[in-house]
Amino acid sequence: MAQRLLTFEIFRYNPASPEILPRLQEFHLEETQGMTLFIALNRLREEQDPSLMFDFVCRAAVCGSCAILINGRPGLACKTLTHDLPDKIVLMPLPVFKLVGDLSVDTGVWFRHLNERTEAWIHTDKIFDRQGPEDRMDNPLAHQIYEAERCIECGTCIAACATANMRADFLGAAGLNRIARFLIDPRDERSPRQVFEVVGTDEGVFGCVGLMACDDLCPMEIPLQAQLAHVRRKMALAALRKKK
Amino acid sequence: MELVQLASGLFLLGFLQFHLFAVSTIILGPAAFNADSAWLDEYYLSYLGIPLVILAIFVHGLVALRKAPWKFQEMQTYLQHSRRLAHLDTWAWLVQILTGMAVLVLAAIHIWSTLLTWPIEAAKSITRVQSGYFSLLLALLLVAEIHAMVGLYRILVKWSWIHRRKFTSYLVYATIFFVVLGVIALLVFFFRKV
Repeated sequence: MAQRLLTFEIFRYNPASPEILPRLQEFHLEETQGMTLFIALNRLREEQDPSLMFDFVCRAAVCGSCAILINGRPGLACKTLTHDLPDKIVLMPLPVFKLVGDLSVDTGVWFRHLNERTEAWIHTDKIFDRQGPEDRMDNPLAHQIYEAERCIECGTCIAACATANMRADFLGAAGLNRIARFLIDPRDERSPRQVFEVVGTDEGVFGCVGLMACDDLCPMEIPLQAQLAHVRRKMALAALRKKK
Repeated sequence: MELVQLASGLFLLGFLQFHLFAVSTIILGPAAFNADSAWLDEYYLSYLGIPLVILAIFVHGLVALRKAPWKFQEMQTYLQHSRRLAHLDTWAWLVQILTGMAVLVLAAIHIWSTLLTWPIEAAKSITRVQSGYFSLLLALLLVAEIHAMVGLYRILVKWSWIHRRKFTSYLVYATIFFVVLGVIALLVFFFRKV
């Protein structure tokens, strides 16, 4: 296979030096075999421009920090092969989140807020016995919880969501998936009605208009359509029971 | 709210398809059409149904539009986002909002003009279609069907009653079927002599 010369157009802006206006900067790089965007970005920084800012930690789709807009669509830089992309690649930072600089955004504050709002921890009156055996759980249920737990908080679903882009207080697929995880966990003693108080609103599950970009683009391929629908059904039931 | 939207949407979907079948009886001839209309009248279905449909359109419009990007900034964000994402389902929402608004206007004209010459009879309908309403009805047929089918798709997706990708093609076939049926009915109205 003949080597391609890739053209990158990368968003550049550093909030620390606002006098330099946001712009797209062009870079060229020869494609190598098995090249991911993560590799390409590192080479650009090492060989061409050491001031280029972007996030990464694990380079193996585990940490969720390298999500960027790749030709307009959010995805993980480390999981995207340049092989699957055209000759010209436009890279932008994720929308919705606060820009740190160039391709780097702060997803931490957003997800912290999400965890606080959904109170994403087990609520229980039981006193934890450190010496005693753990409560048993059957395997299918544990798998179900794990399915939702696989979320790496990369922010792809939030950047892909039209509602989350328009409305800052919308929980998005990541938030509702979190809710789904605690709804099925028997150790969590919150009733569906209590959960309804948090997500039975237009900022919660009923704000979702079902455009399913989250489901299409989730890099972990979490079945977000099913997770959202699960929360929606549970919340609709809770609403009906509440009226009685 | 969400349940009201779902219920009113499903009700209107049912009505639309029923209405289309009823009107399509013109293909079988004016006698069948008149018998149909008379039957609905006899059991007071028309008198009950028409106010109910108008009410449902209003309720559905109000409830569903609460999520639409009303503010200019929201609209701008949405359009920018859609262009960037190039994602079919995301664009379908714009189609949904626009066709929904078009249905509100066109359906109002359609109901008004029909009620003016109550009761519904084949001869009157034929005159109406031939006196310039053809294009309006054709437009209404298209936007209403598209709105209904995209809406049905979204209901099924949101409550996850279907496998998304497999089901889409069925809905496309259903849309084509209903639109073709409607167009044939309209053409019969258009070319039949009074």
